[in-house]
Amino acid sequence: MSTKVITLCYRKIIDASNTSPWDKFVHEDSFAEFKMQAQFYNLEKQFTTFAEMVLNVPEAQKLHFLVSAAITGYLHQLNGIIPDILDNLGRRFLTFENFKFELINSDITNLKKHKVAINFFSKPLVWHDTVNNLLLVSPFKENNEDEVFTNLFQIQPFLSISAIKNID
Amino acid sequence: MERKNFIRSLMIGAISTPAIIEAGKKTSVTDETSSGSGTAGTTTSTNGTCTVAPTETEGPFPTKVPASYVRSDITDGRTGYKMTAKITIGNLNNSCAGLAGAIVDIWHCDAEGNYSEYGGTGMQSTNYQSVHFLRGRQTTDANGLVTFTTIFPGWYSGRATHIHVHVYNAAGTSLSVTQIAFPEGAGTSLALVNGYNKGMTGYTYNNADNVFSDDKTGIEIAAVTGTLSAGFELTFKLNVKA
Repeated sequence: MSTKVITLCYRKIIDASNTSPWDKFVHEDSFAEFKMQAQFYNLEKQFTTFAEMVLNVPEAQKLHFLVSAAITGYLHQLNGIIPDILDNLGRRFLTFENFKFELINSDITNLKKHKVAINFFSKPLVWHDTVNNLLLVSPFKENNEDEVFTNLFQIQPFLSISAIKNID
Repeated sequence: MERKNFIRSLMIGAISTPAIIEAGKKTSVTDETSSGSGTAGTTTSTNGTCTVAPTETEGPFPTKVPASYVRSDITDGRTGYKMTAKITIGNLNNSCAGLAGAIVDIWHCDAEGNYSEYGGTGMQSTNYQSVHFLRGRQTTDANGLVTFTTIFPGWYSGRATHIHVHVYNAAGTSLSVTQIAFPEGAGTSLALVNGYNKGMTGYTYNNADNVFSDDKTGIEIAAVTGTLSAGFELTFKLNVKA
């Protein structure tokens, strides 16, 4: 029987309505960095929104990457654990190394219009089974062991399976 | 077969658990529950999407951190000949005297000619530990000087070797966006490094480069000294209106 190895993606949306300190730091610092970096694609100061910049200067797509440096320090503070997503015991259980930062919307004149997403990509998981509406998974290891510790969790909004691989 | 039964028993357990919790909450027991009969209900949970409330010790507690650009050593493990870049920002509105407190961003490609960058709209992800290699930010000292530790840049098709510079005032307002060119010819750092593994076949020299070719006086060319074994030192003065 083949083994299904999956990668989960959690897309954490952060805007002016977020209240936790970590989220607010990410929101404020990514906005400050956006205002700095956006000037490179807005030398004539014609635009205020990210959407206008991307429409008129396609190179402004690089701002997703360039602004992400404002938040990687905060990613370090997570110690490799994906926030918010809990298993059925109420514990955070997903680990990550890879991420992708997105500017969803922004406006250099208005912090309230600044909205970003951090896509957290989990380390590979073995999908053992589906129990009721819960997925039973365990961290993927190269060497098979007799017994592995597992987590049960529910697929929820902004959490998805982003990659799958069948291993025989 | 045994496995199937085991999973079935788990599923039954999962369905019946909420009923037990509900039953425990009730102070008066109704006839239906006391009779011990009836069939399993078909009502499914409407308990929203957040199935479980966080039940962990709080933390880690976040602290304010600057952008990961803010560092003097920007190599991030990229291999190449060591280079110290000393850039002085002068103020054109003050006889080009050193401008203190200016923010200086630099970025350049690695020995193979690649920048740290990942896809714009695709779903390409990247490791957060080393994503911004060869990009850095420093604030000028009292003499207008910033110093970066990096590697001698490689080159890529269509461009002469260069370093990008973006200067901001202390408030983050852009003052200048420019590029630093390298001296060419026998004995120069460019000739010593010799394009790393690529060699110099197909290289675009400054006088054919679409950015530097209009610089007839060499004002955009840095002074670069040093050797392959000792490393190189680049010095450049950039005057801005502040």
